[in-house]
Amino acid sequence: MEFRNFSLFINQTKVSRFADELGAGKIMSTLCKRCGKQYYPPQADCPSCMGSEMEWKELKAEGKLITFTKIHVPPEHFAVRQPLMPFSSVQFEPCPIGLLEVEDGLRIMGWIPKVDLKKIRVGMKMKASPQTLPDGKLTIILEPIW
Amino acid sequence: MRKVGIVGVGHGKFGVRSDASLRELVFEAVKACLDDAGISLKEVDSMVTGVAGDEFAFNIQPSAQVHDYIGFYPKPNFRVEGACATGSVALRVGWMNIASGLADIVLVVGVEKMNELPTNMATEIMGRAGDAIWEYPFGTTFPGYYAMIANAHMAEFRTTEEQLAMVAVKNHYYGTLNPFAHMQKEVDLNKALSSFTVAYPLKLYDCSLITDGAAAVLLASEERAKAISKKPVWIAGLGLATDSMRLGDRKSLTSLQASREAAKTAYKMAGVGPGDIDIATVHDCFTIAEIVAYEDLGFCERGEGGKLIEAKETYVDGRIPVNVDGGLKAKGHPLGATGVSMAIEVTKQLRGEAGPRQVKDAEIGLTHNVGGSGQVALIHIFRRG
Repeated sequence: MEFRNFSLFINQTKVSRFADELGAGKIMSTLCKRCGKQYYPPQADCPSCMGSEMEWKELKAEGKLITFTKIHVPPEHFAVRQPLMPFSSVQFEPCPIGLLEVEDGLRIMGWIPKVDLKKIRVGMKMKASPQTLPDGKLTIILEPIW
Repeated sequence: MRKVGIVGVGHGKFGVRSDASLRELVFEAVKACLDDAGISLKEVDSMVTGVAGDEFAFNIQPSAQVHDYIGFYPKPNFRVEGACATGSVALRVGWMNIASGLADIVLVVGVEKMNELPTNMATEIMGRAGDAIWEYPFGTTFPGYYAMIANAHMAEFRTTEEQLAMVAVKNHYYGTLNPFAHMQKEVDLNKALSSFTVAYPLKLYDCSLITDGAAAVLLASEERAKAISKKPVWIAGLGLATDSMRLGDRKSLTSLQASREAAKTAYKMAGVGPGDIDIATVHDCFTIAEIVAYEDLGFCERGEGGKLIEAKETYVDGRIPVNVDGGLKAKGHPLGATGVSMAIEVTKQLRGEAGPRQVKDAEIGLTHNVGGSGQVALIHIFRRG
């Protein structure tokens, strides 16, 4: 699995296994073997004790939404191009994103595809899950826990 | 450490400057700065150039364009960078040059030429000012980061979209009184609130502008400053602090810890507190950022920033005038130039030369400049001579 299937641009990293695991349905963190500090996003190195011996650990990806937004003016990479057909147009309805706070105060960023913006509230209980998109790209979505 | 003063200021016209290149913009600001100080470039010992983006400059060494075009070589010049706080980094490095004894007179230049690229490309480049690996895949943009700060602030403190819009109303009003400002147009509350959403809850009028522009200040040692200028403005305190790159790693989403830390350092060095500040320019890249800055700088309690603008306390005749030059919001935000432009406004205010925007008898001023969504913050405190 190419790491850029998740990251879009950057492909060379010591934590490329993150994308493999995401493809297999797991959101992984890393844990420092020496001092026990947990990292999400995963890191190959631990600035807390300057160690580089890490182990992978699946995140318990449930928690509270701490903030969100819906970006109507996207960056170029995500922008919708107008169709070539004259007198026609594309309606763009972006997907909200949010930050979920899970175990140990770790935060996971994800898309919120299934909740109307008006119903998204800071503090709502949600879970994060991996998602494989139709083009094979990997990402993370946040869904409410009812 | 030697005392350092500002002895000259030069502000170019901010705007969509399709008439000029990066180096030509710098020339305008440097010429105005030297004229203001009344000295020639030959008397300047060294130079610092603030440019934020290689992508905007189409050049991996933008500082060379600058010293080449103004004919400064072979004297020292190099480029510094701190995202949207680049201009303040340049000022800080200029101060270090003189305080250390390395130079007596230093020219500090800030510039950005952002409109050579189409807007969506500029948006993409700035969106990657967050974490390009872990945040950008979620389509994050700069307004997006501050929108997330706004939603957290609104949830925690009941700050309203109206209060955000009131910041835009104030800064647009003062922009019309500043001939160098990009936007020369007032906006009323209704218009601001009904403008299209850029990133919920931030609307068009909550966002600063993509602007071209340059600004320059001349710094001098105490001895030289007194010889050059009748009204030197002294740099009394400096603070710089950093925070996590990712918004998600911040302890608080409703405050910028880097601003708080930098403020603490700068206030201590200057021997003043928030109540002593007569005039401030703060980093209002988005309206929410100005409200958060009120709180982080101690101009009001946490969570009270919305009420401070609602009570118009940050207007010229209010308790603590903020961004009465139009701010990034209306003056525009050419990344590298912004911090230098802030220092120019405070210098003019402390010299009593701010015209219709003058704060009565201003003695102590503050600039607050943030890089990215709070990864770095610089605060400078200035004192009238």
